[in-house]
Amino acid sequence: MSYERRLNVVAALVPLVIGVAAAIMSWNLGVGSLSAPGPGMWPLVVSVAMVITAAVLVLQSRPRGDEERFTKDVVTVAIAAASLIGYAFLFELVGFEVPTIALLVLWLKGLGRESWPVTAVVSVVATAALYLLFITGLGVSLPHIIQL
Amino acid sequence: MDFLSPVIAGFGVVFQPENLFYCLLGVTLGMLIGVLPGLGPAATIAVLLPITYNIEPTAAIIMLAGIFYGAQYGGTITSVLLRLPGEASSVVTAIDGHALARQGRAGSALGIAAIGSFIGGTVAIIGLTFVAPLVAGFALDFGPSEYTALALLGILLITTLGTGSPLKSILMATVGLLLATIGQDPLEGVSRLTFGVDQLLDGIDFVIVAMGLFGVGEILYNLESLRKPAEPAAAVGSVYPSRAELRESKGAITRGSVLGFLLGILPGGGATMSSMVAYAVEKRASKQPEKFGKGAIQGVAGPETANNAAATSSFIPLLTLGIPANATMAIMFGALLIQGITPGPALVAEKPDLFWGVVNSMYVGNLLLLAMSMPLIGVFVRILRVRQAILAPLTILVTMIGVYTVRMSVFDMFIMVGLGVVGYLMKKAGFEPGPLVLAFVLGGLLESSFRRSMRIFGGDVTGFLTQPITATLLAVIVLIVVVPPVLRLSKRKRQRQEENVAA
Repeated sequence: MSYERRLNVVAALVPLVIGVAAAIMSWNLGVGSLSAPGPGMWPLVVSVAMVITAAVLVLQSRPRGDEERFTKDVVTVAIAAASLIGYAFLFELVGFEVPTIALLVLWLKGLGRESWPVTAVVSVVATAALYLLFITGLGVSLPHIIQL
Repeated sequence: MDFLSPVIAGFGVVFQPENLFYCLLGVTLGMLIGVLPGLGPAATIAVLLPITYNIEPTAAIIMLAGIFYGAQYGGTITSVLLRLPGEASSVVTAIDGHALARQGRAGSALGIAAIGSFIGGTVAIIGLTFVAPLVAGFALDFGPSEYTALALLGILLITTLGTGSPLKSILMATVGLLLATIGQDPLEGVSRLTFGVDQLLDGIDFVIVAMGLFGVGEILYNLESLRKPAEPAAAVGSVYPSRAELRESKGAITRGSVLGFLLGILPGGGATMSSMVAYAVEKRASKQPEKFGKGAIQGVAGPETANNAAATSSFIPLLTLGIPANATMAIMFGALLIQGITPGPALVAEKPDLFWGVVNSMYVGNLLLLAMSMPLIGVFVRILRVRQAILAPLTILVTMIGVYTVRMSVFDMFIMVGLGVVGYLMKKAGFEPGPLVLAFVLGGLLESSFRRSMRIFGGDVTGFLTQPITATLLAVIVLIVVVPPVLRLSKRKRQRQEENVAA
């Protein structure tokens, strides 16, 4: 089986499994009758449609030319996603300034291979600009440590 | 001329300094993101949604609309100069536009595209002014059964007419519909598919879905090509086309305006499809079709006019029926909901200031864009040199902080990043986020109108067929579902017969 074909099968199996689970959960919610549909009927209709489409896609898994291989670049994406999770964790704990600078340095220097001067200038200016946009400009109460 | 008085009053709304400012801001942002490969208009509007919370509704929608049609102008620049379409709707422009650029006629291509876009956009606004109230008036009597059929049609059309595989799109649409059922049952208040998580009781906010799948998903996807060096851009030259070039493009611009306007109204149509159809039409209408692909100015004028006309007219189904015609309009729908405005047939009559203010702002916006794409083009060409590595962290931070401001909730940040990873994986596996987001938006309307209709019909499914408008819409749905596979089958059969004859 070719790489693309395997990718297609996996990509269709995931919604298939989710669809089956959703169908069971919807059934348990109570389907009601056609004249008085219960809370579970609509989700059941939708998840059955999802299972059928996913099943057809599992069977018709020949490559269509819109699949892309996962190369070593996927590491960059994984690091980026993990850094966003970390950002969200720290956001309310220590205020937005420190995680914002840290994220900028990681993305500019670590992922983007920018030079240190560019990294430093962009990080500081961008953090200040975000502060001015959200806290001063739009008056949103973000957790922050620097008071203006 | 009673009908025209709210239209004229709308100009009063546009010329308020605040609204003019947001119009300028919107079209400039649209130009910028059109020029910068990476984020498309749907993603940009999604990313900016939380910021519009704090702006007055008319100004917010004027700005977001400006981003949308502004991106059509900007997308042309990268298509012509780099052969890198900034937007899907400029893909066909790249063929002849870049060929012209290599002959040193980049300026002419950009100039004709700007003029065509301006004419197409303006024609479509005038068309919208007359058509929208008619459609709205017709739809005022629509009941639950009509809306069930209409929403279903909207979802099906975007899956079959959109880019990408129809089956994959339908699967995405079902995922969107399922996501929309998370939270409390709209009629009975029972909590559904929430896994006992309290934050999910109100359902997943549309803003988070749009920002996650479009915004974060696209940013993560673009990170893969973060360190690729930028290509050198072709020199622009004079952007004022010669008289001969204008004469050559006259027909293309006229046809493009009409075609784009008509295709934009159709659900599932929109800018991308109309630009492709316009290219095909120009090639057929030309006396020298062999010039296409080697630098035919009509191959730029037609599609660019059509995509802008379609971008404008695709507001008609959204503002008059409450049915978004494409993914960007789905996000626009969300933006209106945030402002407490439910788009639908009553909008023209109930909120004339907003409706005509937004529509008329497009005249001003198109005029501003014409100025930006001709005299000021040099500024935007220089922006092409800004590196992806610098833009990516800036956009992601606006997105992360923006989503937090919606409900002051870190939980929403996690959900958004999760959806962003899903969006990235979907892109890798060849699934479009558009149908998912559109179905998610229409999911609530579809479910509640379906259940109301079933109650009205006393559980008899054939009740849908007793309503003339509903039955017509359902017939169209059946045609869409049945005809393409049958055509494909008969084509395959014919091919096989021909092969047999040949053998």
